Amino acid sequence: MSGQLIINGIVNASLIAPPAIAFSLLFGILRFPNFAIGAYVTVGAFIAYALNVGAGMPLWVAGLGAMAGTAVVVWLSDVLVFKPMRGHTPVTLLVVSIALALIIEHVIRLFYGADVRGFDLPLERPIKFAGMRITGEQIDIIIMTIVIGIAIHLLLQYTRIGKAMRATADNEVLAEVRGINTSYVIAFTWLVCGALFGLTGVFAGLDLVIEPLVGWYLTIPIFAAAILGGIGSPYGAMLGSLLVGLAEELTVLVLPSSYKIGVGFVIIAVLLLIRPHGLLGQPEIKK
Amino acid sequence: MTSKITRRSALITGGAIAAASVFAPNIARAADPINVGSLTPNTGGGGPFGPKITAAHKRVVDLVNSQGGVLGTTINLFQENSETNPETAVRAADKLINVNKVVGILGTWSSSVTLGIMPKCQEAGVIQMCTSSSADIPIRDEKGYVFNFQALSPVWGRAIARLALRRGFKTFNLMALNNDFTRSMMDGFTEVVGKDKLLQDSFYYNGGQSSYRSEVTQLIEKNPDAVFIPSYVTDFTSVYKEIFRQGYEGQVISVSISTGAKFKEAIGDAANGIIHGLPVPPIKSPAYAEYVTETGLEPIDGVQHPFGTAGRDQMSVLLLAIEKAGSTDADKVAKAIWEVTTGDGKETVYNVTEGLKAIRAGKEINYSGASSSIEFDKEGMVLGRDFQLAEIKDGKDVVIERLEF
Repeated sequence: MSGQLIINGIVNASLIAPPAIAFSLLFGILRFPNFAIGAYVTVGAFIAYALNVGAGMPLWVAGLGAMAGTAVVVWLSDVLVFKPMRGHTPVTLLVVSIALALIIEHVIRLFYGADVRGFDLPLERPIKFAGMRITGEQIDIIIMTIVIGIAIHLLLQYTRIGKAMRATADNEVLAEVRGINTSYVIAFTWLVCGALFGLTGVFAGLDLVIEPLVGWYLTIPIFAAAILGGIGSPYGAMLGSLLVGLAEELTVLVLPSSYKIGVGFVIIAVLLLIRPHGLLGQPEIKK
Repeated sequence: MTSKITRRSALITGGAIAAASVFAPNIARAADPINVGSLTPNTGGGGPFGPKITAAHKRVVDLVNSQGGVLGTTINLFQENSETNPETAVRAADKLINVNKVVGILGTWSSSVTLGIMPKCQEAGVIQMCTSSSADIPIRDEKGYVFNFQALSPVWGRAIARLALRRGFKTFNLMALNNDFTRSMMDGFTEVVGKDKLLQDSFYYNGGQSSYRSEVTQLIEKNPDAVFIPSYVTDFTSVYKEIFRQGYEGQVISVSISTGAKFKEAIGDAANGIIHGLPVPPIKSPAYAEYVTETGLEPIDGVQHPFGTAGRDQMSVLLLAIEKAGSTDADKVAKAIWEVTTGDGKETVYNVTEGLKAIRAGKEINYSGASSSIEFDKEGMVLGRDFQLAEIKDGKDVVIERLEF
């Protein structure tokens, strides 16, 4: 069973890694924990559903549409909500993000109700090997997540905009003094992160069920992965996702499964006590 | 002798009238309308069923009002959506009790909602009528104001187990959503099949998880003939996807509330083969035939409208009991509910019109409903609902076994 649980953990990690990276990138630049990430994921799931089931598009086209649509929604949430509130404390922005999450969730309920939905895609039986099982769909999710991890690495290390993102995350004032258009960089970061949340919505719709709370179910593991890896560090978020994914699945070997939902909280609590900057994060120096 | 109205006597009289109206809110005054609350799960987990209960409540009230009401006055129906959420339900119940001054709150579906509003109803002297299955309901009903039109969940578990054994399954594994409704159902199932037929200890999962993979891995590891998963539709949809993806080829058994039309739409062809069970209406009953005519629904479509029929019966029974009691006082109405539903040697009636006519003619009646024959045990829990097992074939529910009472 443990071999299967490791596969399960890797699939879980692949689902939470893209939004954990996005959460970390946003935190790096804006310095507040955005609780609306779950709602962004839900938006992605519903846009993909509307395009796939409503408009009859193939799922890969609907997925691209969901990435683009969610990117716009997420960017608009900055323009309309967070930008006017820049300069407020992180706690204020956190509360605002919770309110935004509730508003988005209820707008979705208004149009779609609370029913369960699924993509127009038949469920797949697994490929079996050495007593373990995995579906082609899950292999696709793992591959896409690896590609995203590499793409984000290349973006941050080797492109002008990526370097500008890192500079802005490091010190926004200094970056501006050096001639970086930080408003443009921040908008670009929101759009990239929005696309990642949209893609996660598609993954979540495939893996779980499309309903107004689907993104909320992923929020705690995403937070746990980002905090474990080191909040603000996209590489840490990837590592954190793998560890949280495995920890959640392997828990059933030692604890009843009804305690599984608490694993994310335990990871957050322990990390904040013993290593608040996470595994790969840098401790913040206050002067 | 002349009487003089002094300021003191006017104040005393006014105060007494005000006090009487505060302390006896549920005693109907001559021409006052009778207020009744309907609190149904129009969205959330009970969303597929709530609107049918709501509509049934309204149909009965409209019919009775068109025939002159009860106790010579009309019925005002106040309808609220519980969203299948105890917090929302408690707020709605507050409004129904304190603002609308209702005699009864009818139509709660989820056990957590029924139990959540119970303290307020007990305190205010408000009758509750529900279709909830938690075994805690009769225990927490200290005043005898709760009447449940649904079998308790251990009964579901025992009935599904009997029907599953008839299908020839020899080994089982069980996993359930972690709540009272499903836990006690699992106990009922285990009681009938016997612990020796379970290949491992049964276990629970929480709703709202980010994945159900490890639970499913654990459930199917020893490859039992059948797995039984008492659940709600949201978590069951995710769990079933995972069961299918992990290649389990044994029999999946669940409850029909988890396998409705939305589940089948979300899962597609992979839903075929699932077996599910639910207490169902007595399909040969004249009351059920009337319900089908009143609603214009198809006579048989798998699970046969178990909650809409219960809504019709709840409102009919409450109004008959008020007429019988000659009062809206909760204790008198509760006593009258037994009188109009339970016991032998009475005139059987199948709808509220016949019932009101018989009561006004001084006859003793036994209301036999569209959801069941409506006989209550001493704790207000309905006795003897029929039970049905169906299999999903080509996206439709096909009845395969039936227990009739």
